Amino acid sequence: MTPAAYAALLLREALPDFSWHRRVDVWRELIAGLLGAALVIPQAITFAYLVGLPPETGLYCAVFVGLAASLFGNSAIVGGPNTAVSIMLSLAVMPFAGRGSPVYMEFVLALSLMVGVIQLGIWLLRGAEVFRYFSPAAIIGIKTGVGVLLITSALEGALGLSPLSTQFFYEKFYLVAVSWDELVNPYSAAIAAVTIATGLVLKRFWPRTYILAAVAVGSIVGAAIYLVQGPLVTQIELLGHVTFDPLPIRVPRLTPQHWLFMEAVVPQAIAIAVLGLAQTLVIARDLKARGAGNLDLHKEVLAQGIANTMSPFFSTFAGSGSFNRTSVAIEMGARTPLSGLVAAGAVVVFALAFGPLLTNLPMPAIAGVLALVGIGMIEAREARLLLRSRVEGAVFLLTLFTVTFLGLDVGILVAVLASVGFLLAGMSKVGFVVSHDGELERIAVSGNLFYASLDRLSRHLHATPAARTLLDLTRVPYCDAAANAMIEAVRRERHAHGGRLDLAPTGA
Amino acid sequence: MKRTALAAVGILALLGWCQGALARSTIEELKARVVLDDYESNVLFGYNIVMETNKYGARYAGNGLNCTSCHLKGGTQPDAFPLNVAGVYPKWRSKNGVRNGIGLRIRDCFLYSLNGIMPPEEAPEVQAVAAYVHYLSEGEVIGKPPAHGGVPTLPDTGADPNPPRGATVYARVCAACHGRAGHGTAAAPPLWGPDSYNAGAGLNSVQRAAGFIWANMPVGNERSLTHQEALDVAAFLHLQLRPFDPRDAGLKKLAERIYYRLSKWMAKAQQ
Repeated sequence: MTPAAYAALLLREALPDFSWHRRVDVWRELIAGLLGAALVIPQAITFAYLVGLPPETGLYCAVFVGLAASLFGNSAIVGGPNTAVSIMLSLAVMPFAGRGSPVYMEFVLALSLMVGVIQLGIWLLRGAEVFRYFSPAAIIGIKTGVGVLLITSALEGALGLSPLSTQFFYEKFYLVAVSWDELVNPYSAAIAAVTIATGLVLKRFWPRTYILAAVAVGSIVGAAIYLVQGPLVTQIELLGHVTFDPLPIRVPRLTPQHWLFMEAVVPQAIAIAVLGLAQTLVIARDLKARGAGNLDLHKEVLAQGIANTMSPFFSTFAGSGSFNRTSVAIEMGARTPLSGLVAAGAVVVFALAFGPLLTNLPMPAIAGVLALVGIGMIEAREARLLLRSRVEGAVFLLTLFTVTFLGLDVGILVAVLASVGFLLAGMSKVGFVVSHDGELERIAVSGNLFYASLDRLSRHLHATPAARTLLDLTRVPYCDAAANAMIEAVRRERHAHGGRLDLAPTGA
Repeated sequence: MKRTALAAVGILALLGWCQGALARSTIEELKARVVLDDYESNVLFGYNIVMETNKYGARYAGNGLNCTSCHLKGGTQPDAFPLNVAGVYPKWRSKNGVRNGIGLRIRDCFLYSLNGIMPPEEAPEVQAVAAYVHYLSEGEVIGKPPAHGGVPTLPDTGADPNPPRGATVYARVCAACHGRAGHGTAAAPPLWGPDSYNAGAGLNSVQRAAGFIWANMPVGNERSLTHQEALDVAAFLHLQLRPFDPRDAGLKKLAERIYYRLSKWMAKAQQ
């Protein structure tokens, strides 16, 4: 591609494309957007808690990251706060500043800016192609691992514990099991249990809106306990006043301190950028498979990059596409970015209208939502399907193990390596069928012939230097220089020993 | 001899410089600095919460007061509940019947004086105010209550506090800044009504309020009231309507809080 053509392509992608207005079904998009806004509010608050920032930042993420992703994207993919990205932001910044402090917030914003810029870089390098090699097994492994992490991180809020830091997730469960009578706040535990139980029961009947109902029931139970016992006995943690500002403009501070921080977290920023894009593109792949719209992957990468680059300027953190909210939107008939734009606007309206009511939301109910989202991410059925295949099962288990025990950033690296590794292993399998036609030996080869797959064939050919062989390469789609050299070497060896090697079908 | 004197002067200068270098940075210096370490940034955040609780501590605050409304000048004024008290915590308090760390003490303030929501122990706001309290406590003796802590205890005046007389004193001296209806003005915080401290707050005790008023009010003309006048005004304040004590049952407290938030929201919407 010439530089001029490349520039023209980039420019065409970078401009917001409103061509979808010709195929829009306004009512369906409107309803999908309104429902999406109602669904995102409890999630946004929960994910802000996960990042370690005040609840309003989660709402800003739902509004502004969602808005930019829909404005520059060209699909019904819903952007906004995301579980895995939230966890990783928090883990990356935690070693550098006290959780929730102003410096911590500045660092999260700086990291979000980095994530966005890296994603824009990936767009410029046409990186969307690379995500094709992310195997579904690895993605499901990461999702399941994140589900486990979510349930673990919900534990403290749900049981009213002070933050426990343990090296591995199961130690937390062990600590709680051993000394539950000292650690667990029964009131918090009751609210969380009611929230989770309601969610699990209602999930069957209302697969789309069960989280909203669970939060509502949890809050009502929380209020009832609060009424009977009062704040001092129960010690239930409440959400507190959500100071929602419809236009939270802010210029991220970049002092030498921030530069040092940014230098230190480059690997994490890359991991978050890759993970965010991987999720968006997996959603895109899913939508394509369902026939829900004609997607341009590069454009979705760009939209995500712009959204995250802008996020710190609106006092919020990076996000990505959301699996659960996108699938709800698609089920409600959304096919264009209009639903995302409506959702962003509706969140502003809802937050301004119902902000006062959120003040008394009990945190154990929020933790219950976290656990419900986590449980929703563990897809037992898909995992069982994967485990039937040895290779995919291995990739899934390996990814799941690394994510839960060694952390998400290591998990992503392992997922990429395992995907590519098994892909290469599969590609390097070469079959050959040997048949004899009198003295002539006929070998029909099928598979890619390249440096990693030559071994067995070359051993076979070198074993009988004096034979006459016809090598049938009609079913070899790819043959690299190493394979050519090998064939040439065998031919020379045959020539020296009085044998012959010919290539079919030309017989040259 | 001369050399010894020179050396002595040198050492003294060095010591002076060291002391200057080691001295605590003022808040103004911290604000001007580009790079702050975690402790300093936390102190600054705590200072901001104390000065503008409704902006920086909005998540847990519940009324129109800021910490500095009672802890005057950001907790640096003697006899006005100064905040240089890190050295006396943890200590047992009759109010909640347990040993209070500085964290629980701060959380109590959010619940009673700020009539808000009790933040969790690990909330960044609590940690920041704790850091600020530590910062202010530099130079105090650990375990020894600082001089001029709390408010002075007024001597026995020989007469009971008289609320009607307090009302006239209030109208004459206090109403100019705090407003006739006690709901506060731009110059001074609300003393009663939905935007003020609740019935469980420490300042709702007549004794303590009288000490505070006598030592610190009116601003610019402190200690001009007689002990009896201060007691009368305190008794008058004690009789006014203010938010419920959160230790009483939760129903009315919950209804009140929702009403409060909604009325704030309505007022904002009307603007």
